[in-house]
Amino acid sequence: MDNRPSRHRPVRIPSSRCEPPGQRRLLIREIGGAFVRIGLLTEGGYPYVSGEARLWCDRLVRGLGQHEFDIYALSRSERQEDEGWVPLPPQVRRVRTAPLWTAEDDGGGRGRAARRRFAECYGELAAVLCTAGPYGGSGPPLELWAGTADPLATEADRFRSALYGLAELARDEGGLVGALRSEAAVNALERACRAPGTLRAAREARVPQLLAVAAHLERALRPLSLDWYGDDGLGSVDLCHAASGGPAALTGLLAHHFLGVPLLVTEYGVQLRTHYLAAAESSPAVRALLAAFHGRLATEIYDRAALITPGNAHARRWQERCGADRAKLRTVYPGMDASHFTEVGESPRSADPDTLVWVGRVEPAKDLVSLLHAFADVRKEEPKTRLRIVGAPAGPEGTAYLGHCKALAAQLFPDEADGLHEVGDNPVSFMEIGGPEVPTLADAYATGAVTVLSSVVEGFPISLVEAMFCGRGTVSTDVGAVVEVIGGTGLVVPPRNPRALAEACLALLRDPERRERLGAAARARALELFAVEQNTAAFHGIYLEIVSHSPVRRVVLDATGEPLPFAAPAEAHVPGRWTEPAARAVTGGIPGWATAEPPFRTADPVPAAEGAR
Amino acid sequence: MSGLADPVKVLMHRHRELCERAVDPLEIAAGLEAHGVTDRTAARFRHRDVFSLAEEMYARVPRDAETPAGTAAPAPVRARADWALLALLPGALCTAAVAGLHLTHGQQRPIAAAVGALAVALGLRAALARGPLGLKDHIRSGSRATGLWTCWLAAYALLGDGLLRAALAGGPDRLPTGASDGPWPLAAAPVLALTLSCAPAAWCAHLFAGRARRKLTASRSLEDFTASATPLLLGTFALYLCSLTALSALCGTVLDEPAGHAQAIALGALLFLARLLTLHGFTRAPALVLAATATAQATALATVFAARLPGWDLLITPVKTVVGMGGPAGVPTATCGAAALVLLVHATRRLTRASAHTPTDQPW
Repeated sequence: MDNRPSRHRPVRIPSSRCEPPGQRRLLIREIGGAFVRIGLLTEGGYPYVSGEARLWCDRLVRGLGQHEFDIYALSRSERQEDEGWVPLPPQVRRVRTAPLWTAEDDGGGRGRAARRRFAECYGELAAVLCTAGPYGGSGPPLELWAGTADPLATEADRFRSALYGLAELARDEGGLVGALRSEAAVNALERACRAPGTLRAAREARVPQLLAVAAHLERALRPLSLDWYGDDGLGSVDLCHAASGGPAALTGLLAHHFLGVPLLVTEYGVQLRTHYLAAAESSPAVRALLAAFHGRLATEIYDRAALITPGNAHARRWQERCGADRAKLRTVYPGMDASHFTEVGESPRSADPDTLVWVGRVEPAKDLVSLLHAFADVRKEEPKTRLRIVGAPAGPEGTAYLGHCKALAAQLFPDEADGLHEVGDNPVSFMEIGGPEVPTLADAYATGAVTVLSSVVEGFPISLVEAMFCGRGTVSTDVGAVVEVIGGTGLVVPPRNPRALAEACLALLRDPERRERLGAAARARALELFAVEQNTAAFHGIYLEIVSHSPVRRVVLDATGEPLPFAAPAEAHVPGRWTEPAARAVTGGIPGWATAEPPFRTADPVPAAEGAR
Repeated sequence: MSGLADPVKVLMHRHRELCERAVDPLEIAAGLEAHGVTDRTAARFRHRDVFSLAEEMYARVPRDAETPAGTAAPAPVRARADWALLALLPGALCTAAVAGLHLTHGQQRPIAAAVGALAVALGLRAALARGPLGLKDHIRSGSRATGLWTCWLAAYALLGDGLLRAALAGGPDRLPTGASDGPWPLAAAPVLALTLSCAPAAWCAHLFAGRARRKLTASRSLEDFTASATPLLLGTFALYLCSLTALSALCGTVLDEPAGHAQAIALGALLFLARLLTLHGFTRAPALVLAATATAQATALATVFAARLPGWDLLITPVKTVVGMGGPAGVPTATCGAAALVLLVHATRRLTRASAHTPTDQPW
């Protein structure tokens, strides 16, 4: 049985922007070597220089050199496009880009039949959005639906059919931008909002709100008008890996719908939550309708995805909340490059035993004020202690906050000197990385015996992970994913509690042995969970797992270019899940090639969120 | 926390604004998390996680039946001084060019005419680049052909009547000299009136956009808006026509060219409506209508010359009929007038829809 998905008809389409010249190479495919062609879907990220999460994607692509990557990138602004790309490794076969920030009226959907189809589908979509849903305001809570799954399933079905109806129309007509901006769309929204049984907030929508919703939907549905859903586009990849939720995942969802390409969704931050926070300024009607749209879209994406990999337990909880099946969730922590920190991490005694270090971007959410007050308490007990605050301010707000903190530090701690004849200085010093005292990030951690994190709001605490790599004792506040990251290898105190923070710092300052023990444990934990290798290996395993469960649907060619009969096994055509999930790991469900040559240890089930519990 | 009977109430009071404006529990959950509330915090309120805490808060928020205060009216876009100056620029340049034509003689005249035409074209370009008549980026790409047709229409207004008259009389024997009394005269008055009317056009477009936006916030339904926008559009159009008529009369008097009022007004109406439609994103119809108008004018000229071929003399009949009824100016007046009428009907259907006035810079 040779159903390796590696023998595609070689397709090259003239892409507007192709791979960098001089970096092409012919792929040598060895028989039996596991080889997957991955369509990496990004939005405002890799390969743009200013993209979000580009480092992570870059490490992933470089780490999996034995696979081939097609990158499908949606850019977020003109500036981002102008700034160009990062250098791409040779395993990137091609890059296709599309702007999300602008869309020209493509003239799609002008015919009578097309207009009718559009009105039907859009009306259905609007009607679903205006109905109280699983997260909807006046709907009963999720638990009540659990027993009688019917109404919920019907709503999800209606949303699905409307979305795919629009997608098919966009594919037939070559674009939907004009139709989505048209009066027909606004009319459909108005009808849906005025229909009986709609959400209370939706009933109050007036003309400006309807226009705002229509404009936002047009923007959100722009991936429908892309010309990527052909056999020469996403049809030629073995699996789609969406590097974030939202538009990137919508692209993958459509590829799954049109072409049957399995979808893997990675979310380090939850798009739905971002939408809630971003939309805080608009009126209730707009927020209600858009929340319904993004909620239902997320549910549909999670429903169709083969696997979902949240980046931490927080993202995982949101995904579960949006209806993601637990069986599909695999937490894959972001990988970070540990090599810079090796030297510091291996020599824990180099640290100044009386110095506390704080590293990060200076902004109000980091609550440096509380840290300074805590440090005042520490100084009462241990007068020799010093505090280093390393980091640059983020934005004008951060600059103002830094100024405030400096003033507070000068007020709390007068300059002091060792003797009468020496120049004094302040026990609190503010520095930036790259300055003469802290040339690199590792040096920032190296100088202190204890690293402190005082944030009141935090997502995935990167500076904490870096401190763990450096083998430093840490004291952090219990926010975001801190507990999950630190596990039992550092001290955790409640946020906004300087007294508790001071106590914890003192405990570590006074007990070098404990500090060292915790630091070593933290380094070991970080190397196991947050190193690049675990991230790459986990994704390698996940890719193979997905591909091994996805039947090959296209014609497989033999060496001479002729179609190979019986290339796809008969069981590949059996619809649905024909083996029990539990059974397939044990039996020979996975073809031999999939496990033949694991480059890293093939993914042990990644420890999922144990730290949080 | 222990001293209080109802800790959730305290939390709700602290996040009062968040709870009151939330449209569903998840919004409260997102807001709480942004304020640093974690599952451990939620455990202190005897909840399993932030979601169930948010659900309780959402359920307990008193929701009064009355609707929240209507959205604030959008801040009016101020007419800025640089817009006004830019809108006046083409008119000023054209006045200078016409004055130059009148002051120069002989060899210098064609040079003055060429320089003047170039200056007016550049001035128009600058005036139409920003301000109320300036196009948004996403529309700009579709408007190149429109510019070309507009140039043709303006050139016809300047030279066409003279050429037609000369052609009907068997000429023209030589190129225009730039004088208004030669065998191929230049009709400067309509063009001057049109360039001068850039300023009222910009002001009318600004007025229309601003008023329409205000009506948008005020209207309850889409039908409401359409009903109130139709008189607004017609009023704006009438206002522009009035100002153009006045300008045309003024230019005719000053330049001593009595003919060509109707032609200038028809062309002005056509161009104004085309620009208004393009400004609001409807690029196809104006481009089509302008192209058709220009083609009709070109055909009229071509038939006159083609009729000189033996056996083709029937071709001249339609043009002769029109010229017989309204003079040489009848051709542009009829074509532009008909086209303007078509665009006016189109505009009353398109520009009175709410979707034509989607604010582009508004936060969601």
